Amino acid sequence: MVNLEDLKKEASAVLKDEKVKYVIGYQKSSNGLMPAPVFINKPEDVEKLIWNPTCIHNLTRFLTDERQRKIKEKHPDERPVGLIVKGCDSRALVVLLQEKLISREDVYIIGVSCENAGVVDEKKLAKKFKDKKIERIEFDEKDNIVVTTKDGKTKMAASEILAERCLECKANFPVIYDVLLGEKTKRQPENPFQSLEKIESLSEKERWDFWKEQLSKCIRCYACRSVCPMCYCDECVVDTINFAVTADTTAEEKAQKIKWLEKSPVLSENFVYHFIRAIHLAGRCIDCAECERVCPLDIPIRFLNKKLEKAAKELFDYDAGFDPDHPSLVASFRDEDPEDFIR
Amino acid sequence: MMAEEFEPKIVAFLCKWCSSAGSDLAGVSRMQYPPNVVPIQVMCSGSVSPLYILSAFNKGADGVLVSGCHPGDCHYIKGNYYARRRIALVKQLLEYIGLEPQRFQMSWVSAAEGTKYTEIIKDFVQELKPLGPQTKLRRAQ
Repeated sequence: MVNLEDLKKEASAVLKDEKVKYVIGYQKSSNGLMPAPVFINKPEDVEKLIWNPTCIHNLTRFLTDERQRKIKEKHPDERPVGLIVKGCDSRALVVLLQEKLISREDVYIIGVSCENAGVVDEKKLAKKFKDKKIERIEFDEKDNIVVTTKDGKTKMAASEILAERCLECKANFPVIYDVLLGEKTKRQPENPFQSLEKIESLSEKERWDFWKEQLSKCIRCYACRSVCPMCYCDECVVDTINFAVTADTTAEEKAQKIKWLEKSPVLSENFVYHFIRAIHLAGRCIDCAECERVCPLDIPIRFLNKKLEKAAKELFDYDAGFDPDHPSLVASFRDEDPEDFIR
Repeated sequence: MMAEEFEPKIVAFLCKWCSSAGSDLAGVSRMQYPPNVVPIQVMCSGSVSPLYILSAFNKGADGVLVSGCHPGDCHYIKGNYYARRRIALVKQLLEYIGLEPQRFQMSWVSAAEGTKYTEIIKDFVQELKPLGPQTKLRRAQ
C-alpha cells in the first residue's frame, strides 16, 4: 500500500509550483468510515488527504463538471486539474481521452498503484462486522487486511472484503500518469469474468426471472447515470420523458425529442433504460462499479456492463481503457468479426 | 370451432439499398410469404440504433429482424460492418437477460435475393409460432 506521506508530498509540490488549479483527492468524511472527495487548492491543505482501502470513488467523474465550468467561464483558468487515480480510474481517463472529451494537458495525473490490494466492498464489510463501529482499515506488509474496531484488531485475507471488481481487475496500477506512487505489480486474475458465471450458468428462464426481479426494483433515480464517468452527455436519451408536447411544439422538436420510454418506473420501461445504458457503455465501461455502489436498491448493474465487456473481449478482442489512440469499440470493425448469427 | 392460431408480429428494419429492394423484388415477382412482417425502411443497417430494436419489443413486437447488404456491398462502404458489431452486442445482451434468442435476428439480403427474403420470413414465423406472444419486454397496455 502506498505511503500517505508520499502522496501528500506530491500533491503539495504541484500546488506550491502552481502547476495545477487544484488537486482532487480523498478526505475523511463526517459519514464514519467511508471517505469523501476533496478539492485542495492550497498547499497547506494537503494534510486533509487520506489514502486507505476505503478510497472507492472514481474521481474522474469531476472532469466532466470541470469541462462544463470551463466552457461557461469567460476567462477560464487554463492550468490542469490534479487528480489522484487508481488503476481503474486511470482507465476511465484513457477512455475520456480516447473520446476527446478532455485533452492530456487538462489533467495532471497522480497515479497510485493498488499493488496487490484494492479497495474494500462496503456491503461485504457491513455483513461481516454488522453494527460494530470500524475505526480503521489498513493493509499489513503481507497484504492482509487489518480491521480495527473498538473490540480490537481483526486480520483476514484481503480477498474476503475486497470489492469483487478488484478481485477481477486486469490492471491494478495506473496505465497513464504523470507521477506514479507504488509499484507496477501486475496481478493476472485467473478468470476476469468469474462473477458473471453465476448468472450465465442459469437457464434462460432463470436468467429472465433474475433480471425481472432486479430491474422491477429500479425507481429510476438515475444515480447510476449521475455517478458514471462515462455518462457525460449534455442531454441523455431518457431525458425526453420530461418533454411536454403542446399545441405549439414544432414537428422538428417532436422529431428531435422522441419519447423512447415512459416515465413510470415499471419493468418494461426500466428495462429500456438499463439496456440502453449498458449498450452505450459497451467498450467504454472500465468496471469501476460506482453505479452499483450508489444504487439505493442494490441492483447489480455491474453485471450488465460486465457482460458486454466480456462480449467485447471474446468477440472482438477489445479491452476498454488501455490505449487512448485506439478507435472505440463501436466505431471500428475488423473483417473477421463474427457473423455466424447472421443468415 | 378451431382455436385461432397465434400469428406473430415481426418488425423488420430493411436497408434501403439492398434488403428493402429485395423485399420489393419478392413482392413484384408475386412470391408468397407470410404477411406477419411490418417492414420499416432505413437508410442503412448501420443506422439502426439499439433503441429502435428495444422500442419495437417495448411496443409489442414478437420478433425483430435487421437486414442489410452483404459485407462489401454496403452503399455507404462500411455501414453494415458497424451494424454487424453493434447487433452482435445487442443480441448477446438480450440473450443474457433471458429473451429467447430466436426473437431477434439479423440477415444479409441483397436486391436480387427476393427468394432468400421470403425464406427468411417463412423460417422466422415458423420459429416464433411455438414461442407464443412476447410479453417479457412489452409495455403493459
